[in-house]
Amino acid sequence: MTKKILVVDDEEDIRKSVSQILELNGYRVLTANDGDDCLLKVQEFKPDLILLDIMMPGMSVVELVERLKDIKIAFMSVVRISDARRRGLCTQDNIVDFFQKPFNVTDLIDRVELILKGYE
Amino acid sequence: MDEKNNKECFIFSKINRKLTLLFIIVGFVAPALAIYYFYYIAINSFTFAISQEQATLLGTIVIGMIVLIAIDTGFIGFLISKNISKPIKELCNATKELEKGNYDFRLDIKSYDEIGELSKSFNKTTSTLAKIEEQRLEIDRAKTEFLSITSHELRSPMTPMKAQLQMLKREYFGKLSKDQKKSLEIIIRNADRLDNIIADFLEISRIEAARLKFNFQETDIKHIIEETIEFMNGFAREKNIKLVTQIEKLPKIEVDSGRLSQVLRNLINNAIKFSEENSKIEIFAKTEKNYIFFSVKDYGCGLTSENQLRIFEPFYQVQNASRRKHGGTGLGLAICRGIVEAQNGKIWVESKSGKGSKFNFTIPLEPVRDIKPIKVLFSNRGKIERKIKEEFNIALGPLGENEFNELKNKNAIDKEDLEEYINFLIEKFIIPYDRGKDFKNRISKIFGFEKDLINMKQDYFSEDLGREGLN
Repeated sequence: MTKKILVVDDEEDIRKSVSQILELNGYRVLTANDGDDCLLKVQEFKPDLILLDIMMPGMSVVELVERLKDIKIAFMSVVRISDARRRGLCTQDNIVDFFQKPFNVTDLIDRVELILKGYE
Repeated sequence: MDEKNNKECFIFSKINRKLTLLFIIVGFVAPALAIYYFYYIAINSFTFAISQEQATLLGTIVIGMIVLIAIDTGFIGFLISKNISKPIKELCNATKELEKGNYDFRLDIKSYDEIGELSKSFNKTTSTLAKIEEQRLEIDRAKTEFLSITSHELRSPMTPMKAQLQMLKREYFGKLSKDQKKSLEIIIRNADRLDNIIADFLEISRIEAARLKFNFQETDIKHIIEETIEFMNGFAREKNIKLVTQIEKLPKIEVDSGRLSQVLRNLINNAIKFSEENSKIEIFAKTEKNYIFFSVKDYGCGLTSENQLRIFEPFYQVQNASRRKHGGTGLGLAICRGIVEAQNGKIWVESKSGKGSKFNFTIPLEPVRDIKPIKVLFSNRGKIERKIKEEFNIALGPLGENEFNELKNKNAIDKEDLEEYINFLIEKFIIPYDRGKDFKNRISKIFGFEKDLINMKQDYFSEDLGREGLN
């Protein structure tokens, strides 16, 4: 069964690019542009993985992650992982990876594949 | 010296002494003359002769009066001068406080004369300075903030751009012709370069805002060096450069291995860039007192004294025919300096043009957890220039400023140029030999002092210089 990935980012070009990369590699992708949108889409889409931007307007990511405890989440961010840790992110078990923007396409695909394989 | 003076001045300040002495002299001489004339006239106007006894008594009284008047005026003089010198002393102390950067200091002199006015205007000046200082700090914060925000904002569009470029390159959207591929390569290479600059900018903004994070762990330094060298060997091999290590026994210390490796990588990378093919690069490490001393030495083109001074400035690139081919962001060494200085270490360079360079840095055995902001964006070049200008004013008087500006316009105020200039002055008898020599010494001291500024540990290694020096 094709794996489903939800890409959450407030920037349209990033949403488009990431979903393009993933779709071309055989994943089913849906995008959301903020926290509320993400929660809504999680319910109907039931993704295997959420690629989540750390900095988005609206609902804070800490709050959003609190409410998504049983889906794997990988962060995408321009800030470094150490900065994210400092903000109290990255503490939950379901947070599986951290993509530093701008990411390498090959790296992104490889790591996503690894994450979803480990899920089986 | 100052302290001693202060103690002495507790009762008698210099002004106090001078004025009191003046009063005593005046109080002694004026009545002495007056009384002597009075005595002389009196004696002569007596129609009868006075006895010897009476004359002695009269003389004693006269001398007594003179002495008493002198003491009296002396005492009054002391009180008056005290009255003047006390507020002056307070003003003097206040100026010293101001110099230290204490802008909260206020004078409390209540006299309705010029000194009172002076103290009032001093207070006003102080509060104005405090305001300016506050503004300066605000601008400084805004600058750091701006740098940080812009770097983040610049980095955001890089993400989709690089993603799309890579997809194109991987032919996700169909086959590419040879020319298209070539063009794409160029775009990707430059996008990467731009991204590196932005990433370095972010790093600088972290250093300036003391947001640089260190993740301390007890580590074997030798292991970090070896790992870094293994990583860099890949690049060194391209130019057939040998990386040689000479590591003495090092203790295990708490250090951020990532940061240390970052500094080493940067220095080795630079050394590779400026080395000829088939040469070698030497990496030393040893323990000294309470720090570990590292150095990376190459046998490349070396640095002129001007370049040595400015090499740690951001975006400063060595003026060299091959500079373009070296690439890089121009921020590497500034970042190294930031990282090392954030850990209270020192970083400096020793080099001779044409004979190679040796970059040294130290890290303390005890990690520094309280990170302080470090100004890496601005160099202390301005400070040096000001000092040189001062020396010009001292040596050449009112002409100094003009001469200095002229040299500066010719971009000739590095050490060698200045020495040449002073030699010229001496040869043409524009300034006497001794003064010229003194001038030269002071100038080289400024450059030496600059070295001390970045390289406080210099003295410890002067020995090594002899042994491992560049000759």
